[in-house]
Amino acid sequence: MKQMNRTTLLICLFSISSIRLLAQGNNSPYSILGIGDLEDNYYNRTSGLSNTGIAYRSGRFLIANNPASYSALDNQFFAVEMGLRGSIVNYYGQPVSTVDHQSGDITFRRLAIGIKATKHWGTSAGLVPFSTQNYEFNSPAYIESTLNEIANSYYQGHGGINKVYWSNSYEFFKHLSLGVEASYLFGSLSQKEILQNTNTTTLASTTREIQLSNLYMNYGLQYFGKVGKKWSYTVGATFANQSDLYAVSNIQVLGPDSNVLRSQELSQNYFTLPNTYGVGISVSKDQKYTFLADYKHASFSDQHYNTPNYSLVNSDKVSVGFELSKNQTFYNTKIERSYWQFGAYYGSTYLDVAGQQIMDKGVTAGFGINSLKSPLAYSIVLQYGIKGTQVNQLVEQRYFNVTFSINYRDLWYTKGRKYD
Amino acid sequence: MTRYNYRKIDRFVILSSFLAISLISCQKQPVTSFGSSYVQNNNNAKVAVADTFGVNMSTVYLDSIATAGTGTMMIGRYTDPAFGTIMSRSFLQIGPPSTLPVISSFAGYDSIALIMRTNKGFYYGDTTIPQTFNVYRLPYYYQLPYQQSTFFSNSSFPFDNSNPLGSQTTTIFPNASYTTQLAGDSVKIKLSDVLGRDLYNKVYNNSDTVRNATNFYYWFGGLCISPSDASKGDIYGFKDSVIMRVYYHEPGVVLTNKFIDFEIANGALQFNNITHDKTASPWNKLVLPTQNPQTPPLTPSSATGGAAYLQPATGLQVKLTFPTLRNLILRPDYLSVIRATLTVRPAQGAYSTIYKLPTTLGLYSTDQNNLAQFPLSGPSGALTGDLFIDYLYGATTAYNYDITSYVQQQIALNTVNQNGLILNIPSGGNTNFARAVLADNTAPVAQRVSLKIYYVSLFLFP
Repeated sequence: MKQMNRTTLLICLFSISSIRLLAQGNNSPYSILGIGDLEDNYYNRTSGLSNTGIAYRSGRFLIANNPASYSALDNQFFAVEMGLRGSIVNYYGQPVSTVDHQSGDITFRRLAIGIKATKHWGTSAGLVPFSTQNYEFNSPAYIESTLNEIANSYYQGHGGINKVYWSNSYEFFKHLSLGVEASYLFGSLSQKEILQNTNTTTLASTTREIQLSNLYMNYGLQYFGKVGKKWSYTVGATFANQSDLYAVSNIQVLGPDSNVLRSQELSQNYFTLPNTYGVGISVSKDQKYTFLADYKHASFSDQHYNTPNYSLVNSDKVSVGFELSKNQTFYNTKIERSYWQFGAYYGSTYLDVAGQQIMDKGVTAGFGINSLKSPLAYSIVLQYGIKGTQVNQLVEQRYFNVTFSINYRDLWYTKGRKYD
Repeated sequence: MTRYNYRKIDRFVILSSFLAISLISCQKQPVTSFGSSYVQNNNNAKVAVADTFGVNMSTVYLDSIATAGTGTMMIGRYTDPAFGTIMSRSFLQIGPPSTLPVISSFAGYDSIALIMRTNKGFYYGDTTIPQTFNVYRLPYYYQLPYQQSTFFSNSSFPFDNSNPLGSQTTTIFPNASYTTQLAGDSVKIKLSDVLGRDLYNKVYNNSDTVRNATNFYYWFGGLCISPSDASKGDIYGFKDSVIMRVYYHEPGVVLTNKFIDFEIANGALQFNNITHDKTASPWNKLVLPTQNPQTPPLTPSSATGGAAYLQPATGLQVKLTFPTLRNLILRPDYLSVIRATLTVRPAQGAYSTIYKLPTTLGLYSTDQNNLAQFPLSGPSGALTGDLFIDYLYGATTAYNYDITSYVQQQIALNTVNQNGLILNIPSGGNTNFARAVLADNTAPVAQRVSLKIYYVSLFLFP
């Protein structure tokens, strides 16, 4: 009965998260460009390490940073994880109101499940955001063919691309793990422009609904081993090859009375996701102290997407992390009770706006508890970062995030034994 | 114990998660203007304006308008630099007193006068010029002709205009209700003593002529009050409560001055006869009716110097047609009409503080008969033009109309509606001599009639 209640609750959580993944969140001015803000947080065990985890392996947690990591999951267990993020963003710069310059939201960011299928084969599936778009602003505009008649354009965009994935990794020769993540990207970007009179009476509105979807593959590798009795290491790499994201656009124009003036499907198009790769390393001592470092690169410049106002450029990101685990030994087995994490990151996004590449940098700190009395583990991560710049009339966002992750783990294959 | 703790934590976590999820929508957003540089040329629907539609303008000439029973006698003559000389005179009937006074044999006749009170606000022209009013007696009693229900501006009856009953020259200050006769707002015209003594004697003798109204009408005939030929300043409005007053005196301990009033009778038959100089411009360029009845003929603005003439009191109205209106739907980007504004502008220099524009000009539907039918209305009632007068430069003087509904209806038709619209003074046009010379679409862009249509425009590019 207890098991049934838990399962029911998990299903509820999964359903709600699926819906809320699409919910509108904080205003993100730069998300008007490209396909929105690309998600580079994993909301998992590596969050406190500034998401440094290409070379991270865990027996309990689902490390989506590298699909090769799942072979490290403990045998006979399955794990379910979800992540919530609360965020407060302060906006600075010439285009920002001096009065209303803050926003805040709480969003569901992740749901994943992972199973150690066989001794060497780990597998995981999940639903996470891939990119999000959320903006709104007013812009005065002249009525076409006039020089002095002003109208107001209210622009609003929301939506995003979600990723549902299935990852598999297999361990070879006790030191090498290879993984592949097959994912399906899907979602829609809704971009609306409402033309208004100076008294905010709606004159016309245009809504473009862009449905995006395609398969997306990500490959991973981890090589791990020990040096002496105290030290262990892991090196990892990931690679995702170029992939087209197919787009089907619909346009709908409404008149002043919300009567449909035109509704039409536009020609199909696509957005190309470039080659991306990442490398990472982690070094641990006594399974207590762990140092990690990652480098990621995405070759957006290859797409040659340039407009007079902005262009897509290569993005690079460096992150480092340090983890301190508090372990307890039971019957010659070390069990982690809690952990502290610290990290920092510095990177460039794929946007070059008004001659400035949008940079993103910040620090993180996290604390996690693995309950011994229940199959749950929790972590809370604080993150402070700065994105963008105030030069050239751009917007700087200073954000403070609190990420809350829950890990639920239980036996799934008992070989006839029963546990309370 | 273990089981208890486990459930407690479980519940806490799950409930916290639900609470957090439920808070997702609790958010606020900053106000930014960032983004406008990145949405230009986005091929979204725009509001475009088209103002190149042809507006054809014509002068409609009605040979007459109904002028009877308006309650106002319009009397005077003025010369308008744009419309020539306009004259209006009033025909009316006088009745006997309802109660005849008893006049003693010692009483004596003094004088007779016609008293007219100005109707404030009714005037047109240069009020600084003295006006001479002549009073004529009609030779016979007039009545409505067979099958005619009213009198018109071209109605008239003959009389001996060489022998007025009386005449008075005065300057009227209509807004101050004051005349140079120093009799308040009244104009007093002394009439012939021959008529006065005759009326006095008839009353003194208790004659059948003054005791029976019908007898009096047939005996007296009626009056025509007309400006003198030399008067060229203004047309004034007078209340139709005109009085013909016979003054006499009764001797006694003290001399008592008395009077007998002969008032207007059959007010519905009082009418104003309005004439103009047909040999002068613009009348000599207009297509005039050749028979009666006849559809009021149109004269295109091209025949009258690139302008149309409007003065309802003299039968001039303006017709507008929009022959290219439906070309709008042929535009590749056209989706829907949002707003349509019609701007009608007076010709430069064709109005002044003396020769005023109508303060309101209504728009009326019409048909091939060129008669005004139903007024066009907007959200706040019938359209009246919202006249703005730029007395300083004149450049922005205009009547403005929101004719969105009309344009939307016309666009929805399968054919071009050639009937157009009529411009006319909404009410009281038969006692209002305000007039306008309206520039057609050959005038400079900023001074011409224009139809501006705001529409939802969408260019879809692959």
